[in-house]
Amino acid sequence: MIDEQRPDGSSGHVCWAYDDPATFRRSAEAYLTAGLAAGERVWYISPDEPESVLARLRGVPAIADALRRGAAEVVPLGSTYASDWTVDPAAQVAAYAAATEQALAAGHTGLRVVAEATALVRTPAQLDAFARYEHQVDRYMRSRPFRAMCAYHRPELGARAVAELASLHPESNVEELLFRLYAVAPGDGHAALAGELDPSQHELFGTALARADLRPTGGELVLRATGLRFLDHRSLVHLDEYAHRRAATAVLRTGRPALARLVDLLDLPRVRVEVAR
Amino acid sequence: MRTGAAAGHQGYYHEAIRYDSDDELLAVLLPFLIGGVEAGEPTFVALGERTGGLVRSALPPGLKVEFLPGGDVYARPTAAIRSYRRLLADRVAEGAGQIRIVGELPRLAFGPTWDWWARYEAAINHAYDEFPLWSMCAYDTRITPAAVLADVARTHPRFATPDGGHLPSPTYTPPAEYLLENHPVVPDPLQAATPAVELTDPTAAQARAAVHAVDRGLLPADDVDDLVVAVSETVTNAQRYGVPPVRVRLWPGHDRIVVTVSDGGAGPRDPFAGLLPVGDGDPGGLGLWITYQSCNHVTLRRDEAGFTLRLTAGNPHHGG
Repeated sequence: MIDEQRPDGSSGHVCWAYDDPATFRRSAEAYLTAGLAAGERVWYISPDEPESVLARLRGVPAIADALRRGAAEVVPLGSTYASDWTVDPAAQVAAYAAATEQALAAGHTGLRVVAEATALVRTPAQLDAFARYEHQVDRYMRSRPFRAMCAYHRPELGARAVAELASLHPESNVEELLFRLYAVAPGDGHAALAGELDPSQHELFGTALARADLRPTGGELVLRATGLRFLDHRSLVHLDEYAHRRAATAVLRTGRPALARLVDLLDLPRVRVEVAR
Repeated sequence: MRTGAAAGHQGYYHEAIRYDSDDELLAVLLPFLIGGVEAGEPTFVALGERTGGLVRSALPPGLKVEFLPGGDVYARPTAAIRSYRRLLADRVAEGAGQIRIVGELPRLAFGPTWDWWARYEAAINHAYDEFPLWSMCAYDTRITPAAVLADVARTHPRFATPDGGHLPSPTYTPPAEYLLENHPVVPDPLQAATPAVELTDPTAAQARAAVHAVDRGLLPADDVDDLVVAVSETVTNAQRYGVPPVRVRLWPGHDRIVVTVSDGGAGPRDPFAGLLPVGDGDPGGLGLWITYQSCNHVTLRRDEAGFTLRLTAGNPHHGG
């Protein structure tokens, strides 16, 4: 587990890796039901034949009712995302932003989707584009009432691809995941780091940082690290190099003075630690 | 331009003083300190409270000698090396031709943690050798154990004597040789019991979790966080550069946590590993250097079974 928190959807962006489709469907249905209870419009985005998905959802009373009212919809995966199955991050965020505004205009409290996105991350190029999109849409979610459960079928993708995707979500059900890099509310820095970063995570951390593509402001990249329980010296060096390439100083906001002592030992010019108990 | 006994010497001129009275200590130190100030050399005193006060009251009023808090300087060997190297580099950058320092380890260092201070005394022959430093390390023979004095003789090239002499130490051993020897380590009494946790080939994350599990609020959070850093670095090094199996054992006590990390390899090749950041590209050097600064005691042992590092957080000055 990456931290004490079970994925409960409170952050609005959950990565859900699954082996057994039936178990995933139950989680998805519970997630959508919670959205309906909160007055949200819900979408179930699936690569499956819509009729079969609809038949299944009609067996869930709260969703069946919402399907009749138009508060719930089954959306074919191909109609939501780009036709070549490689996502265009900015265009996709814009599409969800428009859908969120429509949901609000129709009197809903927001938009919540379950997206079974396995088919969109099969190749390295698809995975790279989609992982970049995951961070961008995460950022959008911090300011507007859009929520998503992003589901991935682990046996088809493998643990590595799942880890690359899960590490860019504030919440996930991936137990072996050690760290997460995710968006924060505007004014609360550029991103948050949580969990543990050690040498077993260096490659994944580098990939996550590259895809998050953090843009400094005022020469600083502010990372909220209050949920970061451990950060080893090599990860700090990595962060220093990342900040250097972006002509910025990485500012780690943490409650752990040990991190400040480590940065002091290493004399890293591009990392600063701000300790607040 | 160097003055005094170190005139013409290249690099570090390292001496020990073995004194058995205050008069003997002052007989060596007063000319050393006054001579330094008169030659315009930055001159420092890092003695304990009693001897520091003794020297201060014996020096001519207004003499420009800088007193460093000895207890703070000598908290951990690697941190002492780091802070002295900074001080020396700064003074050289300011144009100093020679720097004089007299230092004295606190008496506490002569107990179970002496082994890493002996390694400190050996390592600084190398670590300070790029600076025009003349230093004296004072040892009160009335309170210093014989075994410690034997190590002092092996780690100091020469002795300063009250009659103004500077005598070579017959048993002096070059640091690279001394540091690769297996020195006796005082067993921690906690280790007589079965470890509370024993892990074989753990991931670094599992080893970190084990530290938190045995702590149970025993030590201040900062101390635990520092031990977690040390254990994580040590386990990572053992996995990367050691020979399996890697074994981690933890013993919590009422005022400390003791952790050993062992593997079947020979340990780092660089004799200065842990005491200096990296040496000769020896892998893992930075991790061990961080470890030395994150614990209150680190011992190392090489034997036929392999290499073992013992890390202590909390109070390492046990009675054993």
